[in-house]
Amino acid sequence: MSFTRPARCMLCNFTRAASAAPRVPRRQFHPSPFRLNDQKPTDSAVPVAAETPKTNKEAVVKQRLQEITRNMKPESLRPYTEEELAQLREVYSAAQMAAIEAGEATIDPKDFAEQFAVRTDPMRLKYLDDFSHVEPGVDKHVRASESHADPNQKLKNTEDFMQDFSKYIQEMPRDMDSAHFVRWAETTRLTKGKEEAERSPHTSLAPDFFQEGDKLRVPEDEGKEGLVRDENVHRPAISLEGISPPLAQLIQSTGLSQDYIKNLFTKSLVFHSVTNQTRLGKVQRFYCLAVAGNRDGLLGLGEAKSFEAADAIEQAKYRAIRNMRPILRYEQRTIYGDVTAKVGAMDLKLMTRPPGFGLRCQSLIYEMCIAAGISDIAARVNRSRNKMNTVKAAYEALLAQRNPEDVARARGKKMVDVRKVYYSGRVF
Amino acid sequence: MSLSNLSHVISHLNNVTKARLGLTSIPNTKLHLKLCLALQNDGFISTVVRGGPTPPAPHELLGHPSSQDIEPVTQANVATRRLWLGLKYWRSEPVLGKMKMISTPKRRVTAKLPDLRRVVQGHNTPYLEGLRSPGESLYISTDKGIMEARECVEKKSGGLVLCRIK
Repeated sequence: MSFTRPARCMLCNFTRAASAAPRVPRRQFHPSPFRLNDQKPTDSAVPVAAETPKTNKEAVVKQRLQEITRNMKPESLRPYTEEELAQLREVYSAAQMAAIEAGEATIDPKDFAEQFAVRTDPMRLKYLDDFSHVEPGVDKHVRASESHADPNQKLKNTEDFMQDFSKYIQEMPRDMDSAHFVRWAETTRLTKGKEEAERSPHTSLAPDFFQEGDKLRVPEDEGKEGLVRDENVHRPAISLEGISPPLAQLIQSTGLSQDYIKNLFTKSLVFHSVTNQTRLGKVQRFYCLAVAGNRDGLLGLGEAKSFEAADAIEQAKYRAIRNMRPILRYEQRTIYGDVTAKVGAMDLKLMTRPPGFGLRCQSLIYEMCIAAGISDIAARVNRSRNKMNTVKAAYEALLAQRNPEDVARARGKKMVDVRKVYYSGRVF
Repeated sequence: MSLSNLSHVISHLNNVTKARLGLTSIPNTKLHLKLCLALQNDGFISTVVRGGPTPPAPHELLGHPSSQDIEPVTQANVATRRLWLGLKYWRSEPVLGKMKMISTPKRRVTAKLPDLRRVVQGHNTPYLEGLRSPGESLYISTDKGIMEARECVEKKSGGLVLCRIK
């Protein structure tokens, strides 16, 4: 907030300044004070008629239209005269004339005057629009209906079928065969109303959408009745009372169930106190860097600081769970190729290794591999060996793996994993 | 065979892919042309067209340029000929990854067949690291032309190791 501004501006930013002169002193390029846009011109006593000596036909039409629309009254509307009708008949067909006359008869002059007049009330629209088409930037999206159901759907009666049949006979090709009739009989609709309501109706056997927490059946679900629920997903019906607030927030934001979160591998890898030097003195807090994983290809990192050590650890673990991302794993045991990553002065290299090699790497990367479900890896940490940066660099390296399928698509080449070919895919 | 010119080309291609350019040109030599054709064969680059100082017409880059379109090399224009390369990107990442010279003008690295076989299998040799990452390639100049290391093993020939693509 600037103290150079007057006090009334602190209460309301929208109020106008007391004087038209600029608040910030600056050089004036003109001796007279400048006028704000919304001020009425003081010399408005000039008669309007003096401004409209334009003999331009367009201007006259425009003015007349404005006059009409401004003071529209039901009396000013009159029916077509015979001459005008005769002129219209030259242009329009008989059916169109009938429509015009029907329209004239239907619309009440009072309504017409109300609708056609230009609105002057404060709630008037600031723009002219016909509202007949949807404008993507302005209007709300018109979405497809969620279900095909049509409330006006009706079965066709005998007359409708007779009409259909007579239409078919009329449009029948000369070289007609029995297949043509069969096709017509199969595709003819039995109901009136929306077509999709008949063609793909809603059935309770195949509901439209999965409910929250439902999943597709997998071989392990043999013998279960009805829809299979995903146990990893939190059900909103289960209350979160009695759970610590951070955990409840985690459950709400991730949608994971409490059991699933409990079974995740979480570990605090780096923990130390940090100090912020302020003018009031040193403010000491605890820093924690934690990893979380499901031991099956998901891994996340979380950092947190808190005045309480336990809070920092808990928060870091929950953040790690929230940040879990899928890690590429070759044969669900090692990484794809050698990957490097650099964070700060860290220079880290993770190397793919054959089955049974084990985790021959330092402790921090070991824990991360356990969390992600990697069992064969070698790692080399060069230059700096900062613990926090080691973890961050290892995470970056694990995410930097390149998927061979992507490589193949990018190059337009076919790539085959020969291990899978030689052992008919039974490598693990 | 000027390896210093080749190293200039390789660092130029590294810069160009970082800048996400779609088309670039390099000096026209037989070595560059053969390497570029090998890269194109492996899908690293989309087009290789010989042209002048200005880029060739789009139909020459996109389609199959016939011999009438490409200006033949003559004594008068040989100095101005350049190779115009179309670069590829996939999911906003360059297909042609980081290129690195293996042989340098000061130290040329050759690989015989047994060494190459080990490298292709992913093992390290004294002068060459194994090809372990997916899509990693090594280009070797042999008496049968410039080839990828795996093709060299297939055709049973070793040679001068030019560059590596990660």
